[in-house]
Amino acid sequence: MLDHLSIAMASPTTLAAVGAIVLLLGEIAALLSLPNLAWTFAISTVAELGYVLIGLGVGGPAGDTGALMHLGYQAAMRGLVLTAGWHLVRRTGSANLNVLAGSGPRMPVAATLFGFGVFSVMGLSPFKGSFSKFIILYAAIEQGQWLVAFAGTLATIVAAVYYILVVQKICLEPAARPVELAPAPRAPLAIAWPLTALTVLISLWPAPFLLFAARLAGFAGGEGVPQFETPWATPVLVPYIGGFTVYLIGRVSAQGRDVAAVLLGVATVAVVALDGGLDPASRLFALLFSGVCCLMIVYSIGYIGRAASANRYYFFAFLMTGSLIGVATAHELGNFYLFWELMTWTSYFLVIHEQTPKALRAGLVYFLMCAAGAYLMNFGILLTHAEIGSFELAAIADKASVIPPLAGAAIVPCLFVGFAVKMGLVPLQSWLPLAHPEAPSSISGPLSGVLTKAGLLGMVKVLYVAFGASALARYAVSGLDANTVLMSLGCLTLIYGEIRALFERELKRMLAFSTIAQIGEIAAVLGIGTALASDAALLHVTNHAMMKTLLFYAAGAFILRTGGKRIEDLAGLGRAMPLTAGAYALASFAIMGLPPFSGFVSKFFMIYAAAMGGHVEVAALMLLGGIIGVIYYTRVVSFLFYYPYKGEGVREAPVPMLVAMGVLAAAILVGGFAPGWQLNLIAQVGDLAALRGALASGPLPGLVADWPAGATIAIVGAVAVALVGRTSAVWAGRLAVATLVAALGGVIAQSGRYDRLSFCFAVLIAAVGALNMLHSTAYLADSHRQGRFFAAFTVMIAGLIGMTQAKDIFSFFAFWELMSSWALWAAICHEETAAARREGFKYFIFNTVGASFMFLGLAMIAARAGTFEFAALGAALRGLPPAIVAPGVVLVFLGLVMKAAMLPVRIDYQMHPALAPTPVSGYISAVLLKSGPWGVLKLFVVFGGATLFSKLGGEVNGQPVILTVISIIAAVTILYAGAMAAIQNGVKLLLIYSTVCQLGYVLLGVSLGTTLGVAGGLMHFVNHMMLKDAMFLVAGAVMVKSHATMLDELGGLGRRMPFTFGVFLLSGLSLAGVPPLNGFSSKWLIYYAAFQSGHWALAVAAMIGSLLTLAAVMKFAHAAFMGPPTAHALAAEEAPAAMLIPMGALAAASVVFGLFPGLLLVPIAAIERELGFVPIAASLLGPLPGLEGWSPLLLTALTAMFAILLLPWLRLGRGAEVVRSSVHLCGVVDIAAEEMRPGTARLYETPDAILRRALFAPERAAKREEA
Amino acid sequence: MMTSQLPIVVAALVFPGGVFALALGLALKGADRRFAARLQGRVGPPLAQPFFDVVKLGFKRTMAPDVACAPVFFGAPLVGAVSMLLAMTLVPIAGVYAPGPIGGDLLVLIYLLAVPGVALMLAGSSSGSPYGAIGFSREMAMMLAYEGPIVLIVAAVGLRVGLATGQGPTFSLSAIVAYQQAHGALLFDPVMWPAVVAFAFFYPANLGIVPFDIPEAETEVLEGPLLEYSGRPLALFKVMSALKAVVVLGLGVALFMPLPFSGIVGLIGWLAQLLALALVGVTAVRVGAGRMRIDQAFVFFLKWPLALALVSVLAAAYFSAGVAP
Repeated sequence: MLDHLSIAMASPTTLAAVGAIVLLLGEIAALLSLPNLAWTFAISTVAELGYVLIGLGVGGPAGDTGALMHLGYQAAMRGLVLTAGWHLVRRTGSANLNVLAGSGPRMPVAATLFGFGVFSVMGLSPFKGSFSKFIILYAAIEQGQWLVAFAGTLATIVAAVYYILVVQKICLEPAARPVELAPAPRAPLAIAWPLTALTVLISLWPAPFLLFAARLAGFAGGEGVPQFETPWATPVLVPYIGGFTVYLIGRVSAQGRDVAAVLLGVATVAVVALDGGLDPASRLFALLFSGVCCLMIVYSIGYIGRAASANRYYFFAFLMTGSLIGVATAHELGNFYLFWELMTWTSYFLVIHEQTPKALRAGLVYFLMCAAGAYLMNFGILLTHAEIGSFELAAIADKASVIPPLAGAAIVPCLFVGFAVKMGLVPLQSWLPLAHPEAPSSISGPLSGVLTKAGLLGMVKVLYVAFGASALARYAVSGLDANTVLMSLGCLTLIYGEIRALFERELKRMLAFSTIAQIGEIAAVLGIGTALASDAALLHVTNHAMMKTLLFYAAGAFILRTGGKRIEDLAGLGRAMPLTAGAYALASFAIMGLPPFSGFVSKFFMIYAAAMGGHVEVAALMLLGGIIGVIYYTRVVSFLFYYPYKGEGVREAPVPMLVAMGVLAAAILVGGFAPGWQLNLIAQVGDLAALRGALASGPLPGLVADWPAGATIAIVGAVAVALVGRTSAVWAGRLAVATLVAALGGVIAQSGRYDRLSFCFAVLIAAVGALNMLHSTAYLADSHRQGRFFAAFTVMIAGLIGMTQAKDIFSFFAFWELMSSWALWAAICHEETAAARREGFKYFIFNTVGASFMFLGLAMIAARAGTFEFAALGAALRGLPPAIVAPGVVLVFLGLVMKAAMLPVRIDYQMHPALAPTPVSGYISAVLLKSGPWGVLKLFVVFGGATLFSKLGGEVNGQPVILTVISIIAAVTILYAGAMAAIQNGVKLLLIYSTVCQLGYVLLGVSLGTTLGVAGGLMHFVNHMMLKDAMFLVAGAVMVKSHATMLDELGGLGRRMPFTFGVFLLSGLSLAGVPPLNGFSSKWLIYYAAFQSGHWALAVAAMIGSLLTLAAVMKFAHAAFMGPPTAHALAAEEAPAAMLIPMGALAAASVVFGLFPGLLLVPIAAIERELGFVPIAASLLGPLPGLEGWSPLLLTALTAMFAILLLPWLRLGRGAEVVRSSVHLCGVVDIAAEEMRPGTARLYETPDAILRRALFAPERAAKREEA
Repeated sequence: MMTSQLPIVVAALVFPGGVFALALGLALKGADRRFAARLQGRVGPPLAQPFFDVVKLGFKRTMAPDVACAPVFFGAPLVGAVSMLLAMTLVPIAGVYAPGPIGGDLLVLIYLLAVPGVALMLAGSSSGSPYGAIGFSREMAMMLAYEGPIVLIVAAVGLRVGLATGQGPTFSLSAIVAYQQAHGALLFDPVMWPAVVAFAFFYPANLGIVPFDIPEAETEVLEGPLLEYSGRPLALFKVMSALKAVVVLGLGVALFMPLPFSGIVGLIGWLAQLLALALVGVTAVRVGAGRMRIDQAFVFFLKWPLALALVSVLAAAYFSAGVAP
């Protein structure tokens, strides 16, 4: 019969073409006929005949069989749609879709049948209507009629648009207006029921019908028709059967359903975990998908609760789980495609679960985009089969090399687009920010966390593992291969996502855009195409799944409890929902890529891999994105914790939700501390991809931070402090001090672990930390939530200790970030005022920028050297040409110079933390910023010392240019910051500028790179630590006792706080370089060293800088401590012992070091020897060494001698008794004490004005230009 | 060359510091007052008047303002005076005295020289008097003004001497004196002329004499920092001021014109130099000039002495190598 038909036509090709035209135009016409349902389906039915024509036209076993099968299938399915539709139209009395809207609630049975029919006609996988279509399309492809097949695919996409529109309108939307229903006609449903049964039958068991159709077409046995499916695997069957089970139980008992759901969720994970037959890629993704979905079920117990729609929800949730696992475990493209479609379909129902108009619209876009992508993918799959005759991935792997480039060039883009849509890769991302926020939060999590990853799974599993990188390269069209496209789109997506997230004000939408950005990041790295890069991308896939799911889950808990969706609505919620907010903060820090969380590990890995792969621009872009990420993620955490809480009566999230969040948080921590298991899984996938792509697969770099005892003690102590702090602030404070003392013990116990420089620094870090912590227990006695502050402070110190003891780049950078990122931010923001938040935020961003430069530099260096170990690094670098090493080294040093707050990247500019608790400001100034100079010195040696530097930038007068540049920067900073300090009037601002100035001395000394210079720099390093910290602690005592922040509010404190004043004056004068105090000794060495190195200009600058420091110190002393007391001062009394002890200890240490510079210089000499310098000739109790060395001890002894001689005469005996009188005022009597004081701002009138003119001239000039 | 290496305690207590410096300082002060009187057509006090003043103050009551911060108020004059006694041990007398090896160098000396200024500032500040505060403010301004030039002058000398002899820059006072004794005083070295002129501006400012006696201007701020002082503390300030004159003038001599003599001749020559400097460079100037305003003085120092000293530094840095190997 068919032969006759074929003969009747002019030619088979024409017939197929006509069919394609009928099909495409028909579907378009059907779409345009909306909202008239009758017309739409009438035209659609005609258009469907186009498929039959195509099938007959292309002929062959597949074509003819498909055409016949299609006829039969459509007859049954369309019959169902038409009869059910007829029923609906008749009862409603109109065929207009807008009138029919809401039929679902009105006529549930008929609407459900109708919907079922439409989905079947549409050919979504569970309804095997697509089966016959596939065969026809396959036939067209097989015969080389690509255009026809493509038109068919296009038509299917067009049809999907109106199908889903109709289903949504009729079945899911609520009624737009009330409709008077006509009495039910009997006939339609009577026909519809058997048709439904038939549809189910032919959908579930298509094989016999296929065989029958083949027989009818004259081809026995069904040969020539591709085998589309294979049996389902157990891990898929468990959730699928589970879905139905849970649904049925739910109809009886809600409680039973919840229990069953959790058990089945766990069972699914177990089945996946125990399945030994999976290849690494499948196993990795299946574990990830099932794990996150299991938590989704647990979370849903609390989130969905006992709502009426819960049964439906769990049903689709389990089906989605099964589909995801199916996609992950499929070993051939038939099932892969089947589950892919099922995944879209089930998740669509979950997205629209709440059935609000917005949710429906989001669902529509989601469904259409993903379905369209899937159809294209299907085209690619069929094309593949046509080329190699199999769907098996293993077969593809074998034969990828024989696929002609032209076919490959058609297959890969089709598959690529299918995956890219699911990933949300720009420009196919528009569904993502719509669907994620509208879905229930229990779904948004996995939607972001794992569904988007399905796209990545496709990329990895099909493109990289099956086809392989070498095949992909072969299919490249004009040099544009999949890798390049993926990388470019990834970069684009990254930036798009970050920028949109930055400006987003709704929490879940912000998270959705962040997902886009993260996916972009992963795609970009994956696109680099090395084995290492794909490993890194995969690691981030797993980490991002957990982090983003947790973020959405916490957001869901907030929304559940407060109903607010905007970020502003979260203000102060950290107080009401501490566990949820804590989990949110943890995930935020993790996703920002901060240690000790999993996000840091994968981000580090990705950036390293990018550098290793030669794509520094990708790494730089990721770092830029990371900085943007810090901005918007910090904003939310800030709202949670550092804003006052206005709401009332909000309870913590329900227990099941907390459990789910807790597990995710734990996973993030495990991923940060011990990523070994995860890395192992990933390495196997990476090896596979490498094998296929003929890429070199090396061992993964060590991505486990090496925690020394001191840092471990501190971090464990920090957790304990935070917990104790919830009940007792006093005990939290004591525990914090004890922790740091113990950490000091830990540092000393492991003294053999590190070089002397780092050991000494670590000892100072812990010791000064303990002192400052002691001071802060008194400083914050009347504050709030002290435990939080103590814990953050302790974490920061843990980071510092760890940093000093790091032996490899990874540990170094991990601890560097721990020291300067979130913990510090949390400590600065403690006061919860607008100013504190602003300053904390600025500081955070500043540090992130600095760390990013350093990160990039370190990654580049490690990539060049091929090792993370410091010890091996130097040796490797020495063998490389300088031009290759230079950019990395320069970036690292830029980061260090930023840490040391040098011009033009000064920290003072970003940080005016009048409101940060003063002990932490002091610690930052005195200790933390020293990590800059410490790093310069340490890396100077690691990188091979002066030799490397000379090679890099050349030499002038025998000194490396890079070091000379740093010296000049330091000297200019000394003058600039010294002048700034001299004109300040804020209590802490003055000290902060002075810190920048003094750090200039340290850096100047160190960067001179001579024996004397390094010794002077290191000595000032310690001296400034003592002196500036003492001054800050004094400022803290003054502020807490007087409640003043500006110098003008103060006065006359010297008589009320004599001990405090004494410490200040001693430290201040010493810092200003008054001989014979310790501050002068170290500066003297630096002056000398600068002169000796021929940098006399720098020496002169340093000497003048001291004078500016003196001006600042004297101003402070005068304004705060001298003269008649102000109202603020009258309220003040001497500080408590907890403040005086640290201050006294620091001052005493300064005095001792002042008298015996050898106490510092002997260890410094040892350090110098270790660093490879000629050690300075020092003895423990001897004078300052040098050409014209001198002895502070001698000067002090002489001073004491004179004082002993003169003091009795001055203060004892006849005539020495003091008569107290009022000050002489030339007879003026009616002047208030306050008016007698010259204002602080006017104190140094002329110098002040001139300094201001000099400092701000550029700014003023710029303003003038603007005007 | 006979330079005596005295034990440091002797140097501090007897010669050239201690008793000797005190006597010299007060004597120079007496000569200054006498000469000033003569220039103004008065008879003037006896030469020993400064001694009498100090002794007299020792028997006066000590008064202190009720708002004063007592430890600082009384500590400041003590520290100021002691610092100058110490500084005297560092001032070399050509051919007579060279400071010991571990006492300190030129850099220590110029920072010690800042201590009296700091003491005066603390005195004015701690007294609680508004005049004291103004005095403190002016003292600080002056210090900011003159400290730049002196640092540059010292750098110029150190570079000139050090580079000329082929070593690095030196700040050893003995070395500087020895160099000049061997190669001629720097006063006659054209490279150093700008620095000499700068020094001529520096020392009146440092000593607080007209036209730069702005911090203590009696007619404006009633002696500023010293207003509230009396009795023994004031006596200590007087001593400090007398000693400082010796230190600063001695420093000038050492830097630019050490005599090529030694022994008693050297000492007498040195005393003559000091006396001549005091009478011509201090007394004549203070009698002949009026006081500048603080803003004028500040700007003046930022312009001229600084520029002059810088010229010498540049010249010393670039034209010194191998001048006197």
